Amino acid sequence: MLNFTFMQNALLASAFIAVLCPCIGIFLVLRRQSMIGDTLAHASLAGITVGLAAGQNPIIGAFAFTSICGALIEFLRNYFKKQAELILNIILALSVGIAITVMSSGSLHASADSFMFGSILTVTKLDALLVFLLSALSVLVVVFLYHQLVYIAYDEEAAKIAGVRVRLINYVFSVLVASAISVSIRIVGVLVLSSMITLPVATALQLGQGFKKTLIFSILFSVIDIMLGLILSYYLNVAPGGFTALVSVAVLVLVLIGKRVRAGLRAAKNR
Amino acid sequence: MISIENLFFSYTGAPPYVLSGISLHIRDGEYVSFLGDNGSGKTTLMRLILKLLPPTAGSVSVRAKRIGYVPQKNDYSGAQFPITVFEALNSYRKLLKIREKSAVEKSLDRVGMASFKNSLMGELSGGQSQKILIARALLGDPDLLVLDEPSTGVDVHSQREIYACLRQLNRENGITVLSVEHNLEAAIANSTLIYHLKDGKGHLCSPEQYAEEFLNAKGSARHA
Repeated sequence: MLNFTFMQNALLASAFIAVLCPCIGIFLVLRRQSMIGDTLAHASLAGITVGLAAGQNPIIGAFAFTSICGALIEFLRNYFKKQAELILNIILALSVGIAITVMSSGSLHASADSFMFGSILTVTKLDALLVFLLSALSVLVVVFLYHQLVYIAYDEEAAKIAGVRVRLINYVFSVLVASAISVSIRIVGVLVLSSMITLPVATALQLGQGFKKTLIFSILFSVIDIMLGLILSYYLNVAPGGFTALVSVAVLVLVLIGKRVRAGLRAAKNR
Repeated sequence: MISIENLFFSYTGAPPYVLSGISLHIRDGEYVSFLGDNGSGKTTLMRLILKLLPPTAGSVSVRAKRIGYVPQKNDYSGAQFPITVFEALNSYRKLLKIREKSAVEKSLDRVGMASFKNSLMGELSGGQSQKILIARALLGDPDLLVLDEPSTGVDVHSQREIYACLRQLNRENGITVLSVEHNLEAAIANSTLIYHLKDGKGHLCSPEQYAEEFLNAKGSARHA
């Protein structure tokens, strides 16, 4: 398996994705904004189709368009303060509208199907390099803004009183979400991308740890989900995106069962 | 320390106003409790003082080097957040750019919660989490402490401890305390001044005066 160049590229890119997605996902989940991940994943499809139509690298197209949509979500909060969920519908309508229009116009120079379901065959060396650059940059920004991001998620008012420029950081964060989505899309695909951002975090939250440990466990579960999903999908000859999502759910279920068994054993011991 | 001049506020920017023509001056070292019925504008006034809301008209000027804030517990949705006491305080220390690493332990010591350093915030009782929020507000030695209903959802024993702590911070350390209160007894026992809000307007008086007015009003209501 490792003799194939496409598999080397896919594994390399997956390793970066596995670290980046939970680093962003933990803040999305704890801010109760996990649906933003799903909306921006669909938005990235518009960026991909525009990129392909223009003969450019689709990952760059996805990153640019998803960043714009992320910033637009923040901007629209001013106008829909009490109906925040409507913002996601507006962005979804805009991006899916663009994607379908471009796809149906016949102006695409390549197929966009692999981006819907994810594919390991299409990951080029340049893609792997782009994934590495965007992931490394994004993780560095998360490290630099770590305490600000933690506090905006935990207690936004306290963050404002401490002098954090919440608005600005929210804009930066939307670019980080866009980055995580655009680097993951090639392997995982649009349809299950949000599961990569949220499921490892959901699993880690079951362990009842503090923030740092929850983040570390999220990365660990993410690595297990993506690597196992990728390797098994190769042997089963199925799309890696769908299978990785299935592995993520299986790991979550295993952790939930483990938690229940542990609680049962403790109760029996105390009796 | 705090100077409020002819303050008007409404959430829509137009009448009716939540606060209407408020003027209030508070000197350093006072302990002021803000009393009034639900919806009288107590929390809104605090948020204006904290600059979390802009005035519709008038001005709010606060002269403080550092402000410590303890939010209303009902508004505080952080109970399910996976964060330890140390992480919550240490991240806040970093936001305040306090270099001294021991500031977190010192702050926890001041409220008698040092042994809870590694506990998860979500596992603490109402009284314990309130003390942790006070410890967070004390990071960096603030000269102004703003609290929004500090005894809501807290048992009687913890309430006593919290008010004893606030009194000590005010009387011994000279920290100015502004506290939105629904606990009349605690407000009268601890405050140096009481600001009563009704129909968007307020009046300032001593706790003794307030107790007298309150008892008189209660007496007239009983006779009516």
